Amino acid sequence: MLSETPAIDIRGLTRVFESRKGFLFREATRTEALRGIDLTVERGAIFGLLGPNGAGKTTLTKILSTLLLPSTGTAMVLGHNVVREADWLRPRMGLVLGGERGLYNRVSGRENLRYFADLYGVPLAERERRIAELISRVDLDWAADRRVEEYSRGMKQKLHIARGILHRPEILFLDEPTIGLDPKSAREIRKLVRSLVADGVTIFLTTHYMFEAEELCPEIAILSKGRIVARDTVAALRQLVGGDRTLEAEAYGFDDREVEALRALPGVSKILSEEFGPALRLTLRVRTGETQPEDVRALLPNHPELSVRERRTSLEDVYLDLVEEEGH
Amino acid sequence: MAAAPAQYSRGRSTVAAFRLSVLQFLADPQWLVPSMIAPVIFALVSFELFRVAGPYFLTYAILGAGMMSMWGQTLYGSGWATGQDREFGTLEPTIQAPTPYLYVVLGRVLWNVLSGLIGGLIVYLVILVVAGGPPTVTDPLGFALLFVFIMVTLASVGVVFAAFYVYTRYAGFIQNIGEFAFYIGTGCMFPVVLLPFFTNPISLLFPPTWGLDALRYLSIPGYRGFEWGFWGDLLGAVATTTAYLGFAGMVFYRVERHVLEEGNLSEY
Repeated sequence: MLSETPAIDIRGLTRVFESRKGFLFREATRTEALRGIDLTVERGAIFGLLGPNGAGKTTLTKILSTLLLPSTGTAMVLGHNVVREADWLRPRMGLVLGGERGLYNRVSGRENLRYFADLYGVPLAERERRIAELISRVDLDWAADRRVEEYSRGMKQKLHIARGILHRPEILFLDEPTIGLDPKSAREIRKLVRSLVADGVTIFLTTHYMFEAEELCPEIAILSKGRIVARDTVAALRQLVGGDRTLEAEAYGFDDREVEALRALPGVSKILSEEFGPALRLTLRVRTGETQPEDVRALLPNHPELSVRERRTSLEDVYLDLVEEEGH
Repeated sequence: MAAAPAQYSRGRSTVAAFRLSVLQFLADPQWLVPSMIAPVIFALVSFELFRVAGPYFLTYAILGAGMMSMWGQTLYGSGWATGQDREFGTLEPTIQAPTPYLYVVLGRVLWNVLSGLIGGLIVYLVILVVAGGPPTVTDPLGFALLFVFIMVTLASVGVVFAAFYVYTRYAGFIQNIGEFAFYIGTGCMFPVVLLPFFTNPISLLFPPTWGLDALRYLSIPGYRGFEWGFWGDLLGAVATTTAYLGFAGMVFYRVERHVLEEGNLSEY
């Protein structure tokens, strides 16, 4: 019965932070980090949560991983309440917050893993074998007995992930696992994450790297100002913002009449403008194949400097459209 | 990958925390100062200070210097280790692990008790050398047992301090302010009865005050401490230590709940 429950089921979740600053004259501030989240995530896949800095991604991850209590609403993970059943959940979930912190720097990577293996109750008879396997899996064999303070950021991130899966969790929370990593290390981490899904682990991944979400996550939710503003597959999200094709027209300014003419083209659902150096760029989201770059050029004959190009609407476009709509 | 989850063991978690503390101690040369060098200095200062204290001055010197060195190692170290968890960012993954954090703290406290005893032993050896012979102790076995028990009384306060470090990142600041008041007020250096009377009730709130007075009763003939004598002290030490350990368990539960509400585990 429980195996049919979603990996994550969130209803009306809010989280408010109240803090006070000052010594004699205390000034209270109130921040709504999450404002009514409803979200369901099925088991056995990677679910991506995208959002700008301060959108509430880490707050949501911490609530789901039992490190923070919600203000209102309920959050169920593996069919169990994260507040009332944290003791049941903790051995079954892994958390990777990543970054430079979160490890004992003066001891070796292997000792860090031993310590957490003991806290998680990894059977003693299996402990050393499992640690060796994980060290090998994250390609740290050569550095396992070195102090963590000698590790690069990418190596520390790999060690964080090894620690997160040491006890073989059913669900793993990864909070921005590749942030600040060089491209090679980031690619290795993504490869590792994919291999975990193949092992049957459900992964809840937060990131603000669009290509990472697009590459790893069949389903994505976009969080902005504490609200889920969209949730779907990447393909469906492209349609949500007005089409999977994007045409970009660049020239030294366009008048209103020209913009309206472009808007009237078949399949054009949205036009965004932005200054691009001395030029102005119009971005057209195009829903169908009817409007081509030549059609745009034909409507703008008075711009000899005009350049028009077509590309696929990226997840970054989707993200920016949705987040800007929220006024983030 | 998903399998039946492993069952954590509180004892194993405590041993793991003890082991990690040892490894961190060995890896960090700065610990040599409070654990190895400071006891030598304390012993020499204390020896000079108590020269005029009568025939049992060596015992006074050992108690004073020993307690000075052990205070830092056992009590201060226990809270500070949790402060380090905050600084390293390891408090979140440790709290998120299935083992209650109290058992991790207990492992660290055990190590701090042991390292405090090593400090006490260094003091003893230094005074043995400078005095040219061992001190006169009326009941060596009782002295040794009570000495270890006083480490437990210090550790019980240390566990409560550790809870404050979980509660707030400012615990270190508060502990630093209270360090000397606590150290004087519990009679680490000289008997509490020498302090103004109004300070005594505050001193008696702390288990080491009772234990140290008992230790002086046991080891120094003619010692005049609290009027209830050795057995009263011993009873008070056991009662306050038990109360502190019970209080620590309750405080940890509440503090953990509080920090999950506040979400300040990653602040340092």
